[in-house]
Amino acid sequence: MNVLSGLLAAAIASGTVIALAALGELLAERSGVQNLGLEGVMAMGALTAIASELLVPNPALGVLAAIGIGLLLGLIYATATVAFRANQVLCGLGLAFLGTGLSGRLGAPLSGLRAPVPLQPVRIPWLADIPLIGNALFNQPLLGYFAYFILPAAITFVLMHTRHGLNLRAVGENPSAADACGVPVVRLRFVYTCIGCILAALGGAFITLSFTPSWIEGITAGRGWIAIALVIFGTWRPLPVVLGALLFGAITSLGFVAQIQGWGIPASFLGMLPYLATILLMAIPYAMKSRAFRRLGTSPAALGVPYVREGE
Amino acid sequence: MNASPRSGLFSAWQLRRRADVPVWLDLLARLAAIALALLLVGIVLKLSGLDPLALGRKALAQTLGSAYGLQQALILATPLAMTGLAVALGMRMRLWNIGAEGQLYLGAFFATALALFVEGPPGVMLVLMFFAGALGGAVWVLVPALLRAYWNINEIITTLLLNFVSMLLVTHFAIGPWRDTGASILSATRRLPYEIPVLGNSYLTAGVFIPVILALLLNLILQNTRWGYEVRVIGGSRGVAEFAGIPVLRHILLVMLFSGALAGLAGMIEVSATAHRLSGTISNNYGYMGIIVAALANGSPVGVLIAAFWLAVLLNAGIVLQTSGLSVSAMLAINGVILIFAAVGEVASQYRLVRRDMAAASEPATSGAGREAEPVLVSSQDMEPIPPAEKSPR
Repeated sequence: MNVLSGLLAAAIASGTVIALAALGELLAERSGVQNLGLEGVMAMGALTAIASELLVPNPALGVLAAIGIGLLLGLIYATATVAFRANQVLCGLGLAFLGTGLSGRLGAPLSGLRAPVPLQPVRIPWLADIPLIGNALFNQPLLGYFAYFILPAAITFVLMHTRHGLNLRAVGENPSAADACGVPVVRLRFVYTCIGCILAALGGAFITLSFTPSWIEGITAGRGWIAIALVIFGTWRPLPVVLGALLFGAITSLGFVAQIQGWGIPASFLGMLPYLATILLMAIPYAMKSRAFRRLGTSPAALGVPYVREGE
Repeated sequence: MNASPRSGLFSAWQLRRRADVPVWLDLLARLAAIALALLLVGIVLKLSGLDPLALGRKALAQTLGSAYGLQQALILATPLAMTGLAVALGMRMRLWNIGAEGQLYLGAFFATALALFVEGPPGVMLVLMFFAGALGGAVWVLVPALLRAYWNINEIITTLLLNFVSMLLVTHFAIGPWRDTGASILSATRRLPYEIPVLGNSYLTAGVFIPVILALLLNLILQNTRWGYEVRVIGGSRGVAEFAGIPVLRHILLVMLFSGALAGLAGMIEVSATAHRLSGTISNNYGYMGIIVAALANGSPVGVLIAAFWLAVLLNAGIVLQTSGLSVSAMLAINGVILIFAAVGEVASQYRLVRRDMAAASEPATSGAGREAEPVLVSSQDMEPIPPAEKSPR
């Protein structure tokens, strides 16, 4: 019982990182912009958050600093891909290299340092007493509630039930039609690409301020890439994306548990689990025979295609 | 159609898409991207209190300025050219093989396994290792290739995720079962008994010729065979290719397997010519650098050779300058900046600045002229069944 409860808590903490980044990527991809640079943005967010904490021991400021760096990188990426319409694959990879490289270089002196004041868990009185899941779900930092409850609900509402969300989806599906209707294609793509980067940086901040909570080069360990994969698994819908993040968290923690319990599986093979599982997860929507399910798994039609107004 | 969203200061000028991008301009854009990125790096160095010009001179003198430096650059350029070719081949069909890193590991793994556990005459063994390396890379890309061909699952993500798996796999064997028990400090296998012969009185091995031969061969195949033609057609427009009856799925599978094999060969060359032992650090991001090489070469096999050499000089310059405050991470960051600038430069070369009145005069000729396979006079309804050529997979 204790093992299971601990596993769940670890799964939720590990999943928070992925959920934040994946929901950000979901928003950007819904607007038609694929950002492969999440890994770099997340690494920079993680570094900035802990660096800010080491200067001023205040977790809120650390989170703010991560938002700042996320916005900055988002502006760079959006300028290149949305304003200049550069190839999104190349720019995304460039951003990933830039972020991981820069965080490794700038973070070298901070290697191994712990965050002085980690994010404090906020306990929700009645709900936290539910056996088994209560403590894991309702006794986590505010950022955790944001990732699992507030953000998915807000995205679902805006995307599916407001005019603004309809416009956003239109921009991702058929930008010329949206443009003809007077929807500001470039502005929407720009804004949502930046929001995506901010959320990825927040995911990074959660690693160094709550999950580990310390800094070492390469601390993101491919979580940015997994987040992009989970958007595909979640068929560009917030709820399945968050569930996927939770599932991923569970698989990661299963590796930890196996190591602690001594099941005799080498650590490196346990380490492969999350990556292999993610590939498997990506294939599930397509492995389904049902045609309805396949249609769910269709990407936004204009994903990755720069928008050029006709005659320009 | 004439209404441009730009107004005010720029109203007299207008950006127009070129119907055709001349080669020199394309090249210029790439060179400008590199120059701009280096300029940016120079400014950062200057701001952090270093002298960029002195550093640049020192780096050039120790890389291109000496026979030793030149040879080191060629040695480093070899794996970069191989992974560059791997990525470039995929680019021809708008497939992104981001897993060259992992395929390199597997190629090295397969070649090492053969060298450690099979005995034979060196010549025969090297040939067998060559094919084992290619096989290792191809095996590693098989699942992403199948997923991409039949279910259209994004090959960028699947190939990339496998990079982490391959690194863990190789590290496991290098520090575990295959570890050299004689040397207690090393976390690598024992020295491989077979190695690619050294050229005369130099540091170079015959391995440097492999990417050159393969690049020329690849160029020949792409330009002069039916298969190469079909690959280029699919790259231009998948819809057109399907309409023409080209077996697109089979081509996707084959191109990805070949791409994996090329990256696997990079690993084989590394273990049998440069490192001589398999370890968890057999690749120093060569797979990722290959993406930059392919992007700078714009998918041209011969261009890959030039770009790989250039990048090797840059990387070696970084190594030379490490004592002066640069690090591997910093080099990765610089490469990221180059990649972004290269992508922007590619777009910039597609446009030209024209005066509005002149643009109006030439309107009928240039309006709506797109690149490559974009149909110009087809109404949007007729285009319906053909998916957009640049559409990325799910």
